[in-house]
Amino acid sequence: MMELQLGPLGSAGVFLAFGLALYGAVAGMLGAQRRDARLQTSARLAAVAGFIVSTAAVAVMQAALLTDDFSVSYVATTSRIASPTWVKVVTLWAALEGSILLWAWLLSGYTALLAVTAPLSPLRPWAVSIMQVVQVFFFGVVAFLANPFEVLPVPPLDGPGPNELLQNHWMMAVHPVLMYLGFVGLTVPFAYAMAALITRRPGTEWMTQTRRWTLTGWGFLSAAIIAGGWWSYEVLGWGGYWAWDPVENVSLMPWLTATALIHSVQVQERRRMLKPWNLVLVITTFSLSILGTFLTRSGVVSSVHAFGSGPVGPAFLVFFLFVTLVSFGLLALRWDDVRDRADLDSVVSREGSFLGVNILFVALTFAVLLGTLFPLVVEAVSGDKVTIGAPFFDQVTLPLWMLVLALMGIGPLLPWRRAEQQRLTHNLAWLTGAFVVAGGLAWLLGVRKVYPALTVGLAGYNLMSLGLLLAGALVPRLRLAKRSAFAVLRSYAHESRRRFGSMIVHFGVVVIAVGVAFSAGYRVDQQIRIDFGESAEFDGYTLTAVDRFVERTPQRISSGAVIEVSRDGRPVRTMTPRLNVFGDSRAVPTPAVMYRPSHDLYLNLNSTVGPTTTFVVLRVVKSPLVTWIWIGGFILVIGTAYALGGSTRTVPARATVRAEERAQA
Amino acid sequence: MMLKRLLPPLVVVVLLGALFAFGLLRGAPDRDIESALLGRPAPAFELPLYERYQPDFGTVLTSADLQGKALVVNFWASWCLPCYQEAPVLQAYWQEYQDADVVFVGIQTQDRDRLNEGRAFLSQFGLSFPNGIDNDSSISVDWGLYGVPETFFVDRDGRVIHKHAGPVTAELMDAKLRELLN
Repeated sequence: MMELQLGPLGSAGVFLAFGLALYGAVAGMLGAQRRDARLQTSARLAAVAGFIVSTAAVAVMQAALLTDDFSVSYVATTSRIASPTWVKVVTLWAALEGSILLWAWLLSGYTALLAVTAPLSPLRPWAVSIMQVVQVFFFGVVAFLANPFEVLPVPPLDGPGPNELLQNHWMMAVHPVLMYLGFVGLTVPFAYAMAALITRRPGTEWMTQTRRWTLTGWGFLSAAIIAGGWWSYEVLGWGGYWAWDPVENVSLMPWLTATALIHSVQVQERRRMLKPWNLVLVITTFSLSILGTFLTRSGVVSSVHAFGSGPVGPAFLVFFLFVTLVSFGLLALRWDDVRDRADLDSVVSREGSFLGVNILFVALTFAVLLGTLFPLVVEAVSGDKVTIGAPFFDQVTLPLWMLVLALMGIGPLLPWRRAEQQRLTHNLAWLTGAFVVAGGLAWLLGVRKVYPALTVGLAGYNLMSLGLLLAGALVPRLRLAKRSAFAVLRSYAHESRRRFGSMIVHFGVVVIAVGVAFSAGYRVDQQIRIDFGESAEFDGYTLTAVDRFVERTPQRISSGAVIEVSRDGRPVRTMTPRLNVFGDSRAVPTPAVMYRPSHDLYLNLNSTVGPTTTFVVLRVVKSPLVTWIWIGGFILVIGTAYALGGSTRTVPARATVRAEERAQA
Repeated sequence: MMLKRLLPPLVVVVLLGALFAFGLLRGAPDRDIESALLGRPAPAFELPLYERYQPDFGTVLTSADLQGKALVVNFWASWCLPCYQEAPVLQAYWQEYQDADVVFVGIQTQDRDRLNEGRAFLSQFGLSFPNGIDNDSSISVDWGLYGVPETFFVDRDGRVIHKHAGPVTAELMDAKLRELLN
């Protein structure tokens, strides 16, 4: 007789996952402490079982969303019968409870993967247990504080639907998942670093075990940030992609420290230096990802992205403080084991440039953190409320970004230990030449703003650097092998995946930098009123308001204007900026964007359009080169994936390390 | 020995904990912040106007010029996103009410020497009520500004009757203008 109820079923899955994580954490640590292989295996099995039951919980939630089961609290508060299927699927992460469930599920997936695939080592049991400790927190929040599976005694007939900004664009299906995959991926190196501190093995082992995890997490986080920018460009209607909003800042901070980390681990691998530094970075990265969640989910800093508060904010705060105290405390206690023994031979060396880039990224992190928290600090101290806007972040970070670009070009050309003077001068001459030529050319062509011109110069300099790197690697091989240049390039790219992948990533960064410099520096932004049937001029374009329309679908009502865009009398495109109304929510402007390699034309409706309106107010934005940001992001992700592909480690690297170890002994 | 080592992380955690606990206890930032000015006379000001307003309003607009009129004083900055949101609303209401006994005043603040940005903002929205720059942010200090945008509603007797933080909405403008003018 009893009907299958999805709410209790999902709750059962979540509580079971919580129990398994708790058991696994305790059993794994006991097993590691007592060197009891059976307990360790049991903890690993618990990790796998935890993934299975949490997958079941996610499947139950999806079933509830897809079948419009409004007896499940999360479905009742966030879903709607009229939503199309894809919106129902992504509604899982359209609100707080569901997105924490998603995060916990991805975390359990990574933990299970780690438990199954990580090679046996003294670090493994501890690392798996620490992942499970993190899981205890997340499943604890899902089970006890923000349970999406609560059963409503009187289910409503329909729900309000997800946040209208989120259902307005498919990008929302992608961005949060990428973000969580990034955060969760960066939990793995944190777990291994903790394991290394606990077992007093702060060598390179934890890094080599987690290199792929770190890079994977970093790649996802990079993709998430770019996708978030693109989403806000396509959805928010102001024609920009980055506003230094706290929500954006908190996703940027862990990315900055993770970027520092993927560079400085190489110094430890090669030269056994920066040990404590890498530990600090990996801990900070993880702490910042938790801090960010706390800041944005608690309403502590004001942001245009408002999330509901509740007990989840304080829980994240407590967890953040716990993580920070325990991990940095442990680092302080193990300081003697961790301290560096080698010194930098010369600042002008690969490790010197990595150190420089680290300092820059940490300074950037600090600036962003300061700008984000400063209003709160001022209010706590003096009671005054202040706002920190984009000018602060631009002024402080732009010079640092320029230095990052400068180091990105020279760093990979410097040898380890010490640069040879002649070679250095030769490379520097080429780089400076490229900088001057590119920057000068930009200046002659009319780029008279400092940062865009500087960015073009540095882009030329970086392309030269990539050219020199490739030439340095390929020319000797070409001489020896007598094969076609393409064949040599292919075998080089195949042999040195990490190096070649990093070149692709750096190239992507150059592309992004140019896109940002021009779209921010030369953006034209105007509000124009056009009567229907009339035209208006905008920066070389003629915009004609041809018609208005109203479309109704069960999901939404959409009204907008038909604008014909022409240039020099020739029609270019018909664009239809619109306002979408989902259910009872407020209207969401939906800009129409014309993507072009040279510049985008962006139309957003700033007035309501009905069957009888006689005019339309448009916000018209022309941003040069903005598309290249997304293309650069794509290149960056390809490069990261390339570096991750294939399993061979570079053998010569190991040999040098061995030789160095012998020399040090 | 152990304690001494744990001290630095402990101090950091306690400080951060205290700061965020404060943030949580304070509650989410309120949209309508209490102002000490409510019910009191609005502070006097002298506002150098942008060129486009000088033919109609003179080079400097002072509070003395506006005596006996109700005021809607809006503080904005060229870098403030919500200000771009609310500008069309302000302009629409100004067009509707400019013949009534109310003057809108736009004050660009916390935006030192960014006159070109200010001009671009004004022409972007075609704002026709007088706008000027509070270059040293002294007006914003006198008015007890917390952030931008903020909008003050001043009645004909020169008393502040309402202060709104964040972008203004049509509902708010309707309600407050009615209150000001009856």
